[in-house]
Amino acid sequence: MKILVCVKQVASLDEEFELGGDGLSVDPEFVEWELNEWDSFALEAALRLREQIGASGDEVVVATVGAEVAEDGLLGCLARGADRAVRVWDESLASADVLVVARVLAAVARREQPDLVLCGVQSSDAVNGATGTALAGLLALRRVAVVKRIEPEPEGRALVVERELEGGLLERLRVKLPALLTVQTGIFEPRYATLRAIKQAREKPLERLGPGELGLSPEELSGHAGARLVALRPPERGEGAQLLDGSADRIAARILELVRERVG
Amino acid sequence: MAGGVLVLAEARRGELREVSLELLALGRELADSAGLELRAALVDSEPERFVGQLAATGLTEVLLVRAPTAHFEAHVWEQALAAMIEQERPSLVLLGQTIDSLGFAAAVAARLGLGFASDVTGARFIDGALYVTRGAYGEKLIAELAFPDRECTLLTVRAGIFAAAPVDGSRPPVREVSLELADASATEHLGFVEVAESDVDITKAEFLLSIGRGVEDAENIPRFERLAERLGATLSVSRPLVDAGWMPAARQVGQSGKTVRPRVYLAMGISGAVQHLAGMRQADLIIAVNSDPEAPIFSVAHYGAVADMFEVADALEALLD
Amino acid sequence: MLLLWSVKTRPVFWGLTPALKALWYVLAVISVLVFLYGAIRPFAAYRRGRGGSWPPAREWPGRLARAAVLLLSHVTIRRRDGVAGIGHLLIFYGWIVLFAGTVILGIDTDFTRPVFGFDYFNGNFYLGYKEALNLLGTALIAGLLVMMARRALLRPAKLDYRRPDRAPGEPGYDRRRYRIGDWFFVLSLLVIALTGFVLEGVRIAMSHPGYGATQFGGWLVAQALSGVGRPSLAALRHALWWFHGLLAISFVASIPYTKATHMLQSFLSLALRNPTAGRALAPVPAERAQQPAGYGALADFSPLHLLQLDACTKCGKCHEVCPANATGRPLSPRDVILELREHQNRAAGVEGFAAPVLGDDGVRLETIWACMQCNACVEACPVGIEQAPIINQLRRRAVEEGELDQNLQQTLETIHRTGNSFGERPRRRGRWTTELEFEVKDARKQPVELLWFVGDYASFDPRSQRVTQALARLLHHAGVDFGILYEAERNSGNDVRRVGEEGLFELLAEHNIQTLSGCQFERILTTDPHSLNTIRNEYPQFGAAPVPVVHHTTLLAELIDSGRLDVRGRLSYRVTYHDPCHLGRLNGEYETPRRIIEALGCELREMPRNRDNSFCCGAGGGRIWIPDPPGTERPSENRIREALALGELDYFVVACPKDVTMYEDAIKTTGSSERIALRELTELVEEALVGAPEALRA
Repeated sequence: MKILVCVKQVASLDEEFELGGDGLSVDPEFVEWELNEWDSFALEAALRLREQIGASGDEVVVATVGAEVAEDGLLGCLARGADRAVRVWDESLASADVLVVARVLAAVARREQPDLVLCGVQSSDAVNGATGTALAGLLALRRVAVVKRIEPEPEGRALVVERELEGGLLERLRVKLPALLTVQTGIFEPRYATLRAIKQAREKPLERLGPGELGLSPEELSGHAGARLVALRPPERGEGAQLLDGSADRIAARILELVRERVG
Repeated sequence: MAGGVLVLAEARRGELREVSLELLALGRELADSAGLELRAALVDSEPERFVGQLAATGLTEVLLVRAPTAHFEAHVWEQALAAMIEQERPSLVLLGQTIDSLGFAAAVAARLGLGFASDVTGARFIDGALYVTRGAYGEKLIAELAFPDRECTLLTVRAGIFAAAPVDGSRPPVREVSLELADASATEHLGFVEVAESDVDITKAEFLLSIGRGVEDAENIPRFERLAERLGATLSVSRPLVDAGWMPAARQVGQSGKTVRPRVYLAMGISGAVQHLAGMRQADLIIAVNSDPEAPIFSVAHYGAVADMFEVADALEALLD
Repeated sequence: MLLLWSVKTRPVFWGLTPALKALWYVLAVISVLVFLYGAIRPFAAYRRGRGGSWPPAREWPGRLARAAVLLLSHVTIRRRDGVAGIGHLLIFYGWIVLFAGTVILGIDTDFTRPVFGFDYFNGNFYLGYKEALNLLGTALIAGLLVMMARRALLRPAKLDYRRPDRAPGEPGYDRRRYRIGDWFFVLSLLVIALTGFVLEGVRIAMSHPGYGATQFGGWLVAQALSGVGRPSLAALRHALWWFHGLLAISFVASIPYTKATHMLQSFLSLALRNPTAGRALAPVPAERAQQPAGYGALADFSPLHLLQLDACTKCGKCHEVCPANATGRPLSPRDVILELREHQNRAAGVEGFAAPVLGDDGVRLETIWACMQCNACVEACPVGIEQAPIINQLRRRAVEEGELDQNLQQTLETIHRTGNSFGERPRRRGRWTTELEFEVKDARKQPVELLWFVGDYASFDPRSQRVTQALARLLHHAGVDFGILYEAERNSGNDVRRVGEEGLFELLAEHNIQTLSGCQFERILTTDPHSLNTIRNEYPQFGAAPVPVVHHTTLLAELIDSGRLDVRGRLSYRVTYHDPCHLGRLNGEYETPRRIIEALGCELREMPRNRDNSFCCGAGGGRIWIPDPPGTERPSENRIREALALGELDYFVVACPKDVTMYEDAIKTTGSSERIALRELTELVEEALVGAPEALRA
């Protein structure tokens, strides 16, 4: 079974940050990059599935659309046990929105022909929750979103999954392969990749492709963008929260006051 | 009738979801400002039972699609929505950002080449062009998006942001849209797994003491359970504590947990991720304690304290002695 | 009579026909062969350990000599257990002398007399010989009785073989086999010694030599046998001779197969042990860089460690001092070693040596993760076993296989990502300096006399920041030229290494070493004993240039001695001082902080467990990053209670940032805030200088 895991290197900002020149991005100096938490879980799910099914010719491939900073995340995935990594990038993708990314990933998927595609439900920086589903739409794949549990059927041609609904309710579904799942946090405990494993992961294949090599032209891609960013601004603080300051004792006293006013 | 606003309402297990009314209100506002017609649509096995609940002033029409099964199937909704868009040619489609829509909305947008934005917190027309706002960089910034050259734009709107449209007694015309489903067996429903019954229903509590990642270890939870008891509050938690297996899902507040509306919500050690805020922002009084001054919870809290949750807990315990 | 008086000797093979004598020799030779086989065979097994090598041969003479001194003086055995010390001393010398006595006799009988015609087993030599043997034989019996009384009557906790890493009822929990084996051992020795005396007594009763004083033991027995007729005595003598003889040679033959084997392995362990074990852990050998790190199977062990598994005498000293064991955690260093030893005993051939030792039936994960790497076990062990480093190696393998607590995993990932365990941005490392009234030099850009490696907790934890700021003010006041590395400093890696993540440790060490190599300084100052330990003892393994590293207590003492900090006699608090594991036990610095306390004028009351016997606060070995099991006492709480038992005290004084965190918390959770408060030593010095701490900040 071949599993393709789509991952994203997400940006997390320093407390104090400044916008970059064009006002449409944050100055890289204030940005720290890490692998999207949801994608760690997706990768772990892929690795566990491979361990459970354990047929020969199993492969776990990770793919991302990202600049060079994304290679750290890919290395981490390789260190945890992925077999191969693919990174697609060129400058034309710098302002890619979720639909463009999905289109690029779809091209990667067509090339790889996986039996199963796993994505995280959403990324922690953009929080679109859309890439996986858009990808499924483009590939016309069966899909289930927000999956909390995956059990392979013995022959490995279908999966029984549980989808998370509100209020802790879960829905059990059976989905035949090929399929795409977007994976929710908490599905498994992501394994630890030792530094040694990370070092050794550098020996594993990491392909760097431009969209052209996947048969995608920049005009075509930008034509498929779902939206265009026109401005980026700090949120209005509004009234915000009224600050309770002082020592912990004073804060506690004030809290009790407020609570008693409200609930008696 | 090309151009028009189409609102896709949602129902589950026989109940119309509240976000549907919020979408109607937003849809109404946008339709009026751009001089467009407003339509609502619903996919369900018995869609007609919701017509009355969807009735709101100014609604031109309600479109109903009959689904083959009682429970949600992503491919059915995807095909229904795609069919309606191709048939009715709206210029704007509104959905709620919900667990169900996460399964199909973006797929429709990608396949049909629509304009698309998710988790939208604001939308308006300016000179006939649509602009929306949503969070960026983990809610630390606001992004403004435009959709040039798009005949139709699909937005999934964050729930709980907009006020619900008032339902009046109006009876808009109803039209059933027929659907020819391809790939009838994309997924097979096997049943529901109810959340483990717990003795506590946090949605009924008037006062919730809610703890998050700041609690650090499972072993610190009992003291907050005791504190909650002494305060006369019920203990609830944010997602990470349930993911780690420290607390049952019945206690989780958030988008995929419970939505609560207590009189008082005292959040300690909760950073306030969007999914959590969705579950509690409607509380009457929100007090947040977090050692990180940038924690997003402070943006919805009425009162905030930048302090160590354990120190504040100690102080509360001392005062209650 | 005169004739008898002049014949000061005794028959050696009394009453044995040549055939019996031959039989005796055959049996003796068999026993020696069995002994030799048993003694040598384990060494073939030890050589299967690929994880290291023996110390170089040129060191062996010195090592053996030093170990011999330790053994003859019984220093390590006597430490902290006088009764066991005396008992073992008596047994040891008794046994050695008796054994040597037999050998001397054998040489005379079988070698010098037949070969050279020279016979020394008579006259004054013989008298002296007899006296010695009687004395030491009595000593042996006395020692055995002491040990038996200790076991049966005193019942010290350390001899309770029940193990904390198995639940009652699980196989191997109560170790009855060991107890029976121990008693059998002691009783056999006792019987051998007693029958020796009785045999001597029978001989005396039969032959009445006049020099009773020199064989008083036998003489006493002879009095008891005075009424017995000669034929009975003769029969008794025959029987006893064979009984005593056979028992003795069986005992010798069995030495390598019973508890007695410790005579061989324990001595070698003491001789070959690594004196820097614990404070400088072993890097991964270059030839094993491509394999999973650490000990997964016996074949991964170093040969020395495999030897040490057999060296354990089950004395229980490590079991007693271990802070994890003392607070109800499933770890006893003794039981880790014994479990591994049983694996080694069962391991037949290569397959046995390749089988994993970690697991529910072996050493459990919860056991190795309960360790605080405080090295109290290594310190306490009388035979030099390196329990904590062995546990560290087991952790290395566990980390490779992802078998570690999720919180710990996240902390390691955080350290990798941000270079500190708090997840703070690197640029915030120097934030604590902004509250000072002066600039702190940037040691990366300017030469400084003292390069201050601050450490994570001292830089980021709010409570410890107060101490750091106090120290900075004191240094500034004393005119010390110092600087810090600001955001170039990374976690020193000491605890990452003790957790078993060698790769991450190397990354951190290499980064810090490179940063340091670009700076100009005379000495390195550290706030945290953990940083001190690794920079001083372990960074040289990775090519760091040797440079003096001092702890802030050493520096403060220098400044006080030289008068640059005028603080003598200013305070009069009653305090107790907690020796940090990494400063005290691992690096031998006990007296300097005490001198400071004394110089300040405070009254120091020592806790019972002090200096090298200090009781770990529980933060080490990465445990500060792992949640404690619910419902157990924390080591820090145990320690606070120990302090409170001293009576009225003003302050619990510490010298390590992690101790600050752990003990502030423990004072709260034990509800002792009214009775005792915590002060870091720097804060006391600050107070002595300028009065209450707030004054400095005005």
